[in-house]
Amino acid sequence: MKRRPSFLAITTWVYIVWSLLPVLLAIRFAFNSGRSRTSLQGWSLRWFWEDPTLSVFHDPTLQSALVHSLELAAIVMLVATPLGTALALGMRRWRGRGSGTANIVLLLPLVTPELVFAVGMFLLFTTAFGFIGLGTTAQAIGQVTFTLSWVVLIVRGRLATIGRDVEEAAADLGAPPLHVVSRVLLPLLVPAMAASLLVSFALSIDDFVVSQYLASGADTTTVPMRIYSQARGGPTPALNALATIMLVVSLLALVLAYFVFKALTRGEQKEQRDTAFRQLAMEM
Amino acid sequence: MIDVSQGDIELVGLVKRYDDVVAVNGIDVNVAPGEFFTMLGPSGCGKTTTLRLIAGFERPDEGKILLDGVDMSRTPPHKRRVNTVFQSYALFPHKSVADNVGFGLRYQRVTKAEAKRRVGEAMALVRLQDYGQRRPAQLSGGQQQRVALARALVLEPPVLLLDEPLGALDARLRLDLQVELKRIQEQLGITFIYVTHDQDEALTMSDRVAVMRGGNIEQLGEPRELYEAPSTAFVANFLGASNLVPVSIGAADGDGAQLGLGSFTLRADRCPLGSGSDAVAMIRPENVRLEPQGNGGENRVPGMVEEVVYLGFHQEVRVRLANGTLIKVDVPNDDEQVEHEQGDPVCVHLPPRHLRVLAADAAVAPAEAAPVEQVPA
Amino acid sequence: MGSRWIWRALAIPGLVWLALFFVVAFYAIVSVGLGNVTTLYEPVPHWNPLDWNVGYIWAALKSVVPGGDTWDTFLRTVIYVIVAVALSLAIAYPVAWYAARHAGRWRGLILVLLVLPFWISYLMRMFAWTNLLADGGYATRVLHALSIDSLFQSIGLLDGNDWLGGQHIAVILALVYGYVPYLILPLFVALDRIDQRMIEAARDLGASAAAAFWRVVVPLSKVGTLAGIVLIALPMFGDYYTPDLISGSPKTAMMGNAINGYVQGGPDKSLGAALTLLLSAFLLIFMIYYLRVIRADQREAAAS
Repeated sequence: MKRRPSFLAITTWVYIVWSLLPVLLAIRFAFNSGRSRTSLQGWSLRWFWEDPTLSVFHDPTLQSALVHSLELAAIVMLVATPLGTALALGMRRWRGRGSGTANIVLLLPLVTPELVFAVGMFLLFTTAFGFIGLGTTAQAIGQVTFTLSWVVLIVRGRLATIGRDVEEAAADLGAPPLHVVSRVLLPLLVPAMAASLLVSFALSIDDFVVSQYLASGADTTTVPMRIYSQARGGPTPALNALATIMLVVSLLALVLAYFVFKALTRGEQKEQRDTAFRQLAMEM
Repeated sequence: MIDVSQGDIELVGLVKRYDDVVAVNGIDVNVAPGEFFTMLGPSGCGKTTTLRLIAGFERPDEGKILLDGVDMSRTPPHKRRVNTVFQSYALFPHKSVADNVGFGLRYQRVTKAEAKRRVGEAMALVRLQDYGQRRPAQLSGGQQQRVALARALVLEPPVLLLDEPLGALDARLRLDLQVELKRIQEQLGITFIYVTHDQDEALTMSDRVAVMRGGNIEQLGEPRELYEAPSTAFVANFLGASNLVPVSIGAADGDGAQLGLGSFTLRADRCPLGSGSDAVAMIRPENVRLEPQGNGGENRVPGMVEEVVYLGFHQEVRVRLANGTLIKVDVPNDDEQVEHEQGDPVCVHLPPRHLRVLAADAAVAPAEAAPVEQVPA
Repeated sequence: MGSRWIWRALAIPGLVWLALFFVVAFYAIVSVGLGNVTTLYEPVPHWNPLDWNVGYIWAALKSVVPGGDTWDTFLRTVIYVIVAVALSLAIAYPVAWYAARHAGRWRGLILVLLVLPFWISYLMRMFAWTNLLADGGYATRVLHALSIDSLFQSIGLLDGNDWLGGQHIAVILALVYGYVPYLILPLFVALDRIDQRMIEAARDLGASAAAAFWRVVVPLSKVGTLAGIVLIALPMFGDYYTPDLISGSPKTAMMGNAINGYVQGGPDKSLGAALTLLLSAFLLIFMIYYLRVIRADQREAAAS
């Protein structure tokens, strides 16, 4: 038994502090009562809503970024989840030719560099799909496209846990494929769909490159874009406040995803659920 | 009431391949209505695949599957009038027990009242009447299995398929459920097609058993027939304990033949194989007689007791014959029997009427010619 | 069987979506990069392969070779990535090893803390450093107090006093900060998978703890390490926001900035598209390598 903490332990904890402290400080600065973004200056909620012109609640540019981010995230989660769920279900039975290619195309967005993806979408919406053009629709489409792969992964993990037997049993008892899906698979997929809703929400909120490339002006600015454009300008801690709000919202979504999933799978065998989680973690 | 004239399953030349593996290699079987028919064999023998073909979860590459004379090999599973009980139970975790049992009734066009009545009856049949509102996760393995059974039976299928349904249960529960299953089957008169690798199950419950190996049926018959008159060394070894003694076949003797065992000569009452062929003589341990050393007479070989294993109401005496073969003898533990001890010389009597001569099979281990028991470390 | 239509019906919307918005998007890059421009320098995509015009590809190629406009940027990007990946590895390895082997009862907590950065917006993490490295920021003050700034200045790693003004070292360290969490996790998985008994066997045969580590653990984790390296190197090549946030100067521009400049900024979208294609081809080699490594690893894991 070592009494002194080992070199490895020290390195790890130093790393963790180095990794998280800057963010914690940035959050702390959001609560400054003064204008400094670099030093601690008391405690106040000024930058969130008290300051009449510069706080997030009152500054139109910050507010519109917040609203737009949330709107976009809502659209993305409501489109990506059913689309991805249906895709995961449909791909399950596809063994024939083309299924290998389809599987690769499905997972490609996960390994494609964001810039390449964003440039492609940008060019797409300024040429062939110019009738859609840049803007909220394009941003939503772009975000849904890369979120889709995540939803498929989550749903697939859950389908693997559900297993093939229940499906066969339903068919055996007389259920045509439509009912196998509606009476058995979909109800069992509710936890995965809930998790997908929340994960796609979080992914959308944090996205920067795609939304920036597909933006069309001031009212299509998202919070990450706002942070990016103002970070070097010497702004007030209101920017920190905005970033903090987004951080809390997206972390809440993820924590909620975890607990909702757990609650909804409460009635089932523990090993099955843990397997599903492990698979999900491995995919990431 | 079940119409007993239905439930006739016929498999004609059934073949199923997976890439280059032939899982089912041309099976022809006719299962009679109301029969408890078992497919028995080691894993990989094709029994489960055959069952899945009948259920409709796989499509055969060749052959036909006839239910009451109608070929259903192209019919999807939800349209077939057969139901399955899965090894993993496959209960719907999000539905209550009653909803599980009533699941398939929606496709039989019954009124709500009728459905409720039938669910109640099915649950009473498996003795789970009060468990309707529970969830599957709250039930024990045995209870879940009974729900799976009720769920299939409530639909009154002419044929029920059971895929090793008792595999996941402990020995005691398994025995109880075996009796239940048999009782239910006889009461309802439904054809049961049962798959298992457990020979005791097969022998206890079945009207007929098909012993399968490598995608083929090696022997098909009533349990007694298979046990007393196995046609191959594999069947002999799979069903019950057996001694397989390598012998050479000598001159014919009426229906039987002379057999050479080393320097000893034995006679078998029946020998289907010609002289000169490689063979094993099969005799069940309970049919071997141990007699005092020096006893003369036909089919008697001197030997020495190598080990005695106490098994409760009987014991297994392992005797090394003079020619080196090891024979297992099953001796009941009653007051009449002589106590045997390690090292005792004995005379082993292999009655000719209990010797079955079978073709030698390289894949089936004959009686050991030399001690193979590990010396405990 | 006629009732199988449902599976196809379920899959088709998603597949059509991906085909339209992912595959065609990529094809758009190809068509623009191999296309032409209007008199107003707006890109004209050539969708038909027979119409492809390699002019912009040539121009792009010429600019990324020595002497070309983008050569410096490309070289700089490669150097940044190599240094950043090396530093990331130096940090990630001990941390992943500790988490996998020695964390004991802290393991759960440590894992949560290691995964947390994944779910914090990348921009927020960089933004945090702009607070700390600004004039009067806490990091600036600490670095000054420890005289690290004068040390760096003397060896030429820091030019002037502004950490956020065109400093290579700042960008590299920011890249490390940003990407090292993405390296720790695959490393952790690879190290965790190593059977403890192998290490014990090595110790049993006389190896010291250090020797066991170098001669048993490192080789066994090679696959996971390589995969992790590729996993962070790839996005780094497309990164433009890190230099923009941390430096804001063309002195530290990376390939991402170059492409960004052409596509979003300037009149030469076609050149930008062509450069993107070249970059993609360059990265494709790594992507294929990554997929191969993963698949070989999976096959091995399945066999054992």
